[in-house]
Amino acid sequence: MKISKQARRDARQLFRACMAGGALDEGRARQAVATVIQNKPRGYIAILSHFQRLLRLETARRTATIESATVLPPKTQAEIQGGLTRQYGAGLEFHFTQKPALIGGVRIQVGGDVYNGSVQWRLAALQQGA
Amino acid sequence: MSTLLQEIEAQISGLKTGVTRQNVGTVREIGDGVAKIEGLSDAMLNEMLDFGNGVVGLALNLEETEVGAIILGEYTGIKEGQEVRTTGKLLQVPVGKSLLGRVVNALGQPLDGKGPIDTQTFYPVEKIAPGIIKREPVSQPVQTGIMAVDAMIPIGRGQRELIIGDRSTGKTTIGIDTIISQARLNRAAEAAKDASYRPLYCIYVAIGQKQSNVARVMVVLEEAGAMPYTIIVDASASDSATNQYLAPFAGCAMGEWFMDNGKDALIIYDDLSKHAVAYRQVSLVLKRPSGREAYPGDVFYLHSRLLERSARVSKKYGNGSLTGLPIIETQAGDVSAYIPTNVISITDGQIYLETDLFYQGIRPAISVGLSVSRVGSAAQIKAIKQVAGRVKLELAQFRELAAFAQFGSDLDAKTQAQLERGKRIVEVFKQPQYNPMPVEVQAAVLWTVQNSMMDDVPVEKIKDFQAKLTDYLTSRKADLMGKIRAEKAFSDALSAELKAAVAEFKQTYR
Repeated sequence: MKISKQARRDARQLFRACMAGGALDEGRARQAVATVIQNKPRGYIAILSHFQRLLRLETARRTATIESATVLPPKTQAEIQGGLTRQYGAGLEFHFTQKPALIGGVRIQVGGDVYNGSVQWRLAALQQGA
Repeated sequence: MSTLLQEIEAQISGLKTGVTRQNVGTVREIGDGVAKIEGLSDAMLNEMLDFGNGVVGLALNLEETEVGAIILGEYTGIKEGQEVRTTGKLLQVPVGKSLLGRVVNALGQPLDGKGPIDTQTFYPVEKIAPGIIKREPVSQPVQTGIMAVDAMIPIGRGQRELIIGDRSTGKTTIGIDTIISQARLNRAAEAAKDASYRPLYCIYVAIGQKQSNVARVMVVLEEAGAMPYTIIVDASASDSATNQYLAPFAGCAMGEWFMDNGKDALIIYDDLSKHAVAYRQVSLVLKRPSGREAYPGDVFYLHSRLLERSARVSKKYGNGSLTGLPIIETQAGDVSAYIPTNVISITDGQIYLETDLFYQGIRPAISVGLSVSRVGSAAQIKAIKQVAGRVKLELAQFRELAAFAQFGSDLDAKTQAQLERGKRIVEVFKQPQYNPMPVEVQAAVLWTVQNSMMDDVPVEKIKDFQAKLTDYLTSRKADLMGKIRAEKAFSDALSAELKAAVAEFKQTYR
């Protein structure tokens, strides 16, 4: 779908209006979408498509995915959460998942940042080095 | 066995075992050699991006929500959703003397099948040009071996001289002749163990050229023995637009290594019109706003930042130089088109080649009126200055008078003499391709013309006279030629000796 510059600009404006204290206010976002659908301004589908993309990227930026080969004990989970909150600030959403392919260690992804301490990654690095 | 264990241990200890932080993104869109990547919040402009499996991209557009990257090499294996990593490295190419004699692509990878390039030094492709403090005025000549250029449009080391003209007017030939001339001079200085001579290394960058043309250039350079002093950077027409866009910058980085190490280098960009077209293609697929003729707004900056990297560096900073010879192809002789005017205004002069002159048999087809060298005359040797000072003016007057003389038969003696002299100068400046002429021979021939010693030779026999005179001077009067080469000026004694030599030759000439 072709999204015009005007639609992008409008979506960005809408997105900024939904931010409160540097974090996304979900209630405002829902309200904004409902208002746009009700009023149907010119190119509203394009505006909403781009708005949804901005929301998706913002959600990804504030989501921490922690992958480990085995289930992490609650103490370790709390330590990781504390460390990431210190690094990235409050408001992060944590997802702990189990991924046996990692063999051992932990892989943490917050937005575009990846902290990889898994055995799988180390073996891959060893293979590349060889 | 113990060595094997030690080797493995060393390898393991060399590995980073700690947790590393990487910045990743995912491919949202891929097509036409350009990928749009979401994420990559830490990507730098011109940073190399790792697509995995050895595929590398270059971040060119940093936008609010995504990064636009051009893929260097094969991009058909990249899929939507694939992970991309930043590398923290800017695009760089291998540099150094080991590249001499090699044919490489825009990334500095060998194309000639002569094995890997043995160098540990790499230079970034994009680099800021030397500033005012580091530079000094052009003062040493580049002997192109083309008499018309060396006499009328001299080029100095560190100068940017544009070669401009329509298709097949001999633009590349001027570049190739210059490379061959440098190779001869370098070899002669090596043979004579002349430590005072500064060899000039050459880089030929082929952008959007036919593969057959590049192969022909390579054969000509090999036959002339010029390859040991030359690097060929090839991004031919079959290469992607991204490689064509990068090739001149890669070649320039290779030339900068010579300049930074106190050596002299010459780079030929063949040609920048095709480079602008490749950049337009890259910009359009990156969805950058287009301007005049659909070129992006920064097409002037593209060429100015490239050509500004050619410089003469002062003694304090190494005394090196990088001379730039960009080539521009015009359409139907239109020098006022967008890209030609841009490059004309950036360079320190231009050699304009005309189709009409070419088909009249005046080769090199240099248009004296439109060609100019803004700084090169400071680099001309005194001997050439003494004999060639008035040539450009005389030739321009001849062209004017020749047009005028067509309408009337009665001409005064002075005009007749000017016309006759002009005809002889035109003949003398004709030169076959790939046959550069040593500077002392050029000086002697021009001295002969300027001192009216060719006036009694019929115009149709001028070339024959010149060839035989050159043979005579180089074989029978080699010591006189050596004196001109060494003194670099015509003293009274040297002029008298040359006059006697030419008079002696004329007695035997039929």
